[in-house]
Amino acid sequence: MTELELDVGRWVSRARGASRDLVRQAIAVTDPGLREFAILLSPAAGLELEAMAARAQALTRRHFGRTISLYAPLYLSNYCPTKCTYCGFASDRRIQRHKLTPAEMDSESGALKRLGIEEVLLLTGDRLRTAGYEFVRDGVARAASRFHTVSAEVFAMTASEYAGLAAAGCTAVTLYQETYDPVRYARLHESGPKADYAWRLDAPARALEGGLRSVGLGVLLGLSDPLEDVLRLFRHAVWLRRRFWGGGVSISFPRVRPQSGDYAADFPVGERLLAQIVFAFRIAMPDVTLVLSTRESPRFRDGIAGVGISKMSVASRTTVGGYAETTAPSSPQFEIDDERGVEEFCAMLRASGLQPVFKNWDAVYREPECLTSSAST
Amino acid sequence: MEDGFRLGDRVFRSRLLLGTGKFSSVETMLAAVRASGAELVTVALRRFNRERADDDIYGPLAAMPGITLMPNTSGAMNAREAVRAALLGREITGSPFVKLEIHPNPHHLMPDPIETYEAAVSLVKEGFFVLPYISADPVLARRLEDAGCAAVMPLGSAIGSGQGLATLSMLQVIIRDAGVPAIVDAGLRSPSEAAAVMEMGGDAVLVNSAIAAAEDPELMAEAFATAVKAGRQARRAGLMPRSETAIATSPLTAFLAGEGS
Repeated sequence: MTELELDVGRWVSRARGASRDLVRQAIAVTDPGLREFAILLSPAAGLELEAMAARAQALTRRHFGRTISLYAPLYLSNYCPTKCTYCGFASDRRIQRHKLTPAEMDSESGALKRLGIEEVLLLTGDRLRTAGYEFVRDGVARAASRFHTVSAEVFAMTASEYAGLAAAGCTAVTLYQETYDPVRYARLHESGPKADYAWRLDAPARALEGGLRSVGLGVLLGLSDPLEDVLRLFRHAVWLRRRFWGGGVSISFPRVRPQSGDYAADFPVGERLLAQIVFAFRIAMPDVTLVLSTRESPRFRDGIAGVGISKMSVASRTTVGGYAETTAPSSPQFEIDDERGVEEFCAMLRASGLQPVFKNWDAVYREPECLTSSAST
Repeated sequence: MEDGFRLGDRVFRSRLLLGTGKFSSVETMLAAVRASGAELVTVALRRFNRERADDDIYGPLAAMPGITLMPNTSGAMNAREAVRAALLGREITGSPFVKLEIHPNPHHLMPDPIETYEAAVSLVKEGFFVLPYISADPVLARRLEDAGCAAVMPLGSAIGSGQGLATLSMLQVIIRDAGVPAIVDAGLRSPSEAAAVMEMGGDAVLVNSAIAAAEDPELMAEAFATAVKAGRQARRAGLMPRSETAIATSPLTAFLAGEGS
């Protein structure tokens, strides 16, 4: 997609100048679009959070029911050739690095299965010869022999590589643009494969071309002007949905977290603005899965579960592996805030009238050849 | 006379079918099923979980007396996936019924007519009683009937939308012409809409979101059951004809009375 297709200039000024009346109308409109989304991000909308939350909760219930889908991340490697200023895995950090061996991968999977996890998100650093496409694909195949749903949050790939992931049993790919501002992007990603803004921007489209069922998008809140970034993120999602009619889109809301390099966000996003962004997405995209990780605090997660958010990670580790005791130690990518275990988190959801859903997919929907190949891996 | 309707080799008395997703807990779902009096209940194969009991919605339903389970293929994006899911569902549940759902777009969840038709043909050959979920398309409904489906399940409006009978005029054609039971599935929000379907001659309705998303799902399930019964009774009782205008006291044809017979 082009810069022109991501242009949000007039929507930014519209959002900055919106009145409370316009906000109230935007909350109530039955067929919202970019115009309403921009108004819902305005400072004026920040004064209507309660009304936005009520609408967001009603829409979440209608489309997703009183349920929260659960998943857990599993880092396969923290080796990385790229220097992202904000990332704990950046190549210039002196941290403990590790890459899961096949045996460790199996014990990590076993540990997650014992927790009841059925959806696993596999992560790595940026592309390396020793942790490249084949490494990820083999990891997917190995995980697909154990879990009903496998998705990957990895470096930008070619369409044929994405097709290879899909054939190995991968359902979805998550790939945050981090920031949609090309100037900020260049400054934050000084070297390595990830420095190529356009290649990354077009990766979700290549993933859907390659046959993945769904792509996860997001910006790392704190890196750049949140209003501009989130408006561009919305346009990106709309563009993908129009171009790939059978493809799914989900949105995540990561914020810069403390990590080993002590990067401080240049554009800090507080909890009120974060909640406002989640509500705005839910109101303007009622049928899109909205995801929140354990980066956020238990208080925030408890409050926003089902109020816009429909899918959450649980019991996460951001070290390589970290669920099984036998895996070699490594440093985390960032600090998590919600450290509760699966049972404690589920008890909270149930007490809030929400059913935790571990299995929302079935391996039977994978092509049989992929089942055979992963079973023999 | 017993007022049942036939699906495959069975006759069902309750004309309210229930979907089982979206509930806040398994207990709430079971209470709603009980309160609805439903005899035929659909459950998504993707929500079967044989490894974690508190995440499984199939086991508790299978243990309920008086319920026939109908696995559904929700999550399938094409005919191949739906057929595999149906076969696995039958293997696990032993039920000959399958609710055939194929929605390639995970957002609006509209059914794919081409893939659905293809899968229906295969599943009928496999000996299933196939209940295909379709757009309110009278031609597709007849084509599926001709392919041997046990019923057709046109949507009232988009799944979970609560927009009610947005497809009313097409539903009327489907219901009028159907040679198999026509079951309106998806989009219903209120019991009065379910009653309206029964009044216009629909054979049954399938409800999920409207009950699961209600403040009190159990009470809403009962309300739908009552409405379906009332609508069906009204249909059997014969509604008086609807008239657009009042009947004139001086008939326009009074002048014809003078002609000798």
